[in-house]
Amino acid sequence: MSLVLKDIRKSFKGDLVLDGLSLEVPTGKTLVLFGPSGAGKTVLLRLIAGVIEPDEGEISISGRNMSGVEPEDRGIGMAFQNFALFPHMSAHDNIASPLTAQKQTKSTIQSGVQSLARLLKIEHVLGHKPKELSNGQKQRTALARALAGKPDVLLLDDPLRNVDAKLRFEMRLELPRLIKDQQATVIYVTQDYKEAMAFGDEIAVINGGQVQQVGSPAQIYLSPANTDIARLFGDPVINLLDVTPKAGASGPHVLVSDQIVPLPENHLGDVDRACVLGLRPEALRFVGADSQGAIPVTVETEAPLNEKTVTLAVTARGREIMLSRPAGTPGPSTGPAHIGINARAALLFDRATGALIPAQDTKIEGKVA
Amino acid sequence: MSTQTLDAPPARKFKISKRFLPYVLSLPALLVCIGILIPFFTAVAYSLQRYRLSQPWARKYNWGENYLNFMTDPAFWNTLKVSLTYAFLTVGVELLLGLGIALLLQKRSRFNNFVSIMLLMPLMTAPALASLMWKLMTNPGFGVLSYWATLIGIEDMKWASDPSTAMLTVVIVDVWVYTPFIMILLLAGLRSLPRQPFEAAELDGVPRLFVFWKITLPMLTPFLLTAVLFRVIESIQQFDIIYAMTQGGPGDKLTVFQVEAYLNFFQSTNVGRSAALLMILWAITYILSTIFIKNWLRLRERARGDA
Amino acid sequence: MQSVSTLERILRGTAISLVIFFFMFPIFWIFLMSFQTNETILRVPPSMVFEPTLTNYRSLISGTLEGSTATLEIRFMSNLYNSLFLSVTSVTVGLLLGVPAAYAFAKLKFRGSEDIAFTLLSFRFAPPLLVLLPLTIYFQKIGLADTYLGLIWVYQLIVLPLILWIVRGYFEDIPSDIEYAHRIAGHGFWSTFTKIALPLAGPGIAAAGLLAFIFAWNNFIFALVLASADKQPVTVGALAFITASGINYGQIAAGIMLSIAPTFALALYAQRYLVEGLSLGAVKG
Repeated sequence: MSLVLKDIRKSFKGDLVLDGLSLEVPTGKTLVLFGPSGAGKTVLLRLIAGVIEPDEGEISISGRNMSGVEPEDRGIGMAFQNFALFPHMSAHDNIASPLTAQKQTKSTIQSGVQSLARLLKIEHVLGHKPKELSNGQKQRTALARALAGKPDVLLLDDPLRNVDAKLRFEMRLELPRLIKDQQATVIYVTQDYKEAMAFGDEIAVINGGQVQQVGSPAQIYLSPANTDIARLFGDPVINLLDVTPKAGASGPHVLVSDQIVPLPENHLGDVDRACVLGLRPEALRFVGADSQGAIPVTVETEAPLNEKTVTLAVTARGREIMLSRPAGTPGPSTGPAHIGINARAALLFDRATGALIPAQDTKIEGKVA
Repeated sequence: MSTQTLDAPPARKFKISKRFLPYVLSLPALLVCIGILIPFFTAVAYSLQRYRLSQPWARKYNWGENYLNFMTDPAFWNTLKVSLTYAFLTVGVELLLGLGIALLLQKRSRFNNFVSIMLLMPLMTAPALASLMWKLMTNPGFGVLSYWATLIGIEDMKWASDPSTAMLTVVIVDVWVYTPFIMILLLAGLRSLPRQPFEAAELDGVPRLFVFWKITLPMLTPFLLTAVLFRVIESIQQFDIIYAMTQGGPGDKLTVFQVEAYLNFFQSTNVGRSAALLMILWAITYILSTIFIKNWLRLRERARGDA
Repeated sequence: MQSVSTLERILRGTAISLVIFFFMFPIFWIFLMSFQTNETILRVPPSMVFEPTLTNYRSLISGTLEGSTATLEIRFMSNLYNSLFLSVTSVTVGLLLGVPAAYAFAKLKFRGSEDIAFTLLSFRFAPPLLVLLPLTIYFQKIGLADTYLGLIWVYQLIVLPLILWIVRGYFEDIPSDIEYAHRIAGHGFWSTFTKIALPLAGPGIAAAGLLAFIFAWNNFIFALVLASADKQPVTVGALAFITASGINYGQIAAGIMLSIAPTFALALYAQRYLVEGLSLGAVKG
């Protein structure tokens, strides 16, 4: 039940929406499609669902080429961003729809709908028409309908987009388990990086109709393919500083506020290249003035968030830098201070293309919060 | 279900290929389209022939002769004049009256809605039957309108049978039937206009006449244009009211295009001339309807957008 | 608006009264006439005071007119039946042909779809005789002359564009995602058409059907050209009345009332959709 997309091309009225996109999702895994709106995520889901056909390329599910296979024969369940409930049918009939299509017996349908409704806590509104449901109930009904047919491939198009914050929070906790229980191959579309990190076995970042990077959440976070992706994943946003690597006695390094930040050896080839240094806010910490490589800054403001405290500091050169530390750990909230850089977590990008310049010895490990 | 659908495509009842589906669905409409186009092109052919039903042996192509003959044919010029006069008078009066009534009923209230629904009744009356109703009311013997005419000093008013008042009479019937059409379209238009410019003008104390000319009318233009073009296209082809009222008489006073073509075909059995007349009428309406359809599509887009 | 002066109120009131009078009086007067005998109708000056009688309606329905000179047969009821039959079957056929086509035009953009839709629309505005006159000759040849079938075919000229363009708009208003969701849930194209598209466009289809019925009922020229006496609808049949010798004016009036009652009733029922129908979907009420 693996899903393979090969060289998919699709344009609408001359606008190329998908430009030779390839992806592979192993059976039972969840792939998060992440990208800005207009990146072609929804179009991609519709192509997989078979409601539109690609101009070029091949889609196969479990090795079976889907070209010319009608949507109803693809074994797919899909939840739409705008729910797309059938307005003239009750929630019950909406959820039952895939089961009636499979010509299940009345009692099977009944028990199927009931168990899903119980799971999603919408038993009490099964008799209601969609317009009598709250947004949260609509969303759960749509989800139940997508799951009801026990599809091999589950497509979830930003299902939490149109629900309120509280419900989104709840669903973020519930949904991953629910999805795992289905044992389906899942594609989950979102524009929210936290959802992407929480749900995906793998994340595919797409933009401009192409896959920019595929990898585990940790890979995407720790070695983003380019500055765009680096910026998209992470809150607060990664610090990006223009730098030019130099060769020194201790190896390649860059200067940040006249302080040496060492780079891995293999960056020796990048000396004098125009680069961008990426520093995650949590790779920075406040240090004593006498510690090695300490950069003097002025702390402008501090914003305590739930689980972390974010500080905005300005270097002597006027560069703004964001730091993040776990809530409760001490640190200055205003005035002069010094920061130290965890050089191993620094990322180097090419300034012209924005592409990551990989450090060969960097091993990707560890979890991401 | 999953394994079953994937391993082997389920046995399906017949399935039409996606590519042909739209054509299958619209085929019947397509056939009707062809059924209209065939007689249309036949009519084009007739208009280029000398063709009288009474003299089938003399039937032959004379190409543009029917059209050329019109140049020197006073009956043709009379038809053109009568048709244009009729269209101009009816649409002119209906526009002014329809706009006036729409403005009177503009405010949404129970009474206004009731009146506008009531005023739709003439529009729902078959035009031929409307003529019959007015015939009963304008009967010189017992017609209530003839009686009222004597009250204001017009003795012996003959209405449609008098050459001098025939046009007036059919125009009144047309106005009675079709003013509600313009009214209801403009009313819908007026009520769909955004409120802000009017509220702003009111706050600034702009005189109402000025508001009407500078805000209401310009914003209403697409509706006015649709209503007027619609009516001109129909009015220039009017048949039912005139035929039911006078059959084109008295004399040739009311021989508008379609009435003249009908009489030519069935009375003088001159198929060629009849077809040529209709072709000229078609050319006029075709030009008008292309303008109309453009404007109509814009309005339609907007109506759909609002939904 | 600005404060309403008394003068303006009076002017408005007068104007509305005049408008109502002009548009309602003929219907009211004919209505009165239909309950009168020739005696009271022919009085000068005309008066609204009379003893109402149902004889006009009774004789129309029974089919025999007690004329002033002799008793004569009148086919009014068969005209009424023809109107009903022609309108109902034309609209049914129009819906069967038009609704699927409207769906194809709305949802499955295909080559030539706009051309077909516009050809149908532009012929809605072409002179009907242009198509009718050649058809009379064709119909003679292929045996459709003076048949219900031939008439129903011709009625599609007005019924089909109306249904096509109104229903198309309603189909276009159905979000594609809803139909996609139904397909993905495992239902085929036809099932989605009948279970989703048709119910959701239901009100529009009903409205288009009712309006098409009104237009078909009110049509005059098609039957005048193509139908003989026994196939004629009331619009054509009623006209023959007035020339029939020995008829009572009250009976004509009663005939008119019976002929316009159905469209009035339907118009009241479908008034919400009238604006949309009359403008072929360009203006929503």
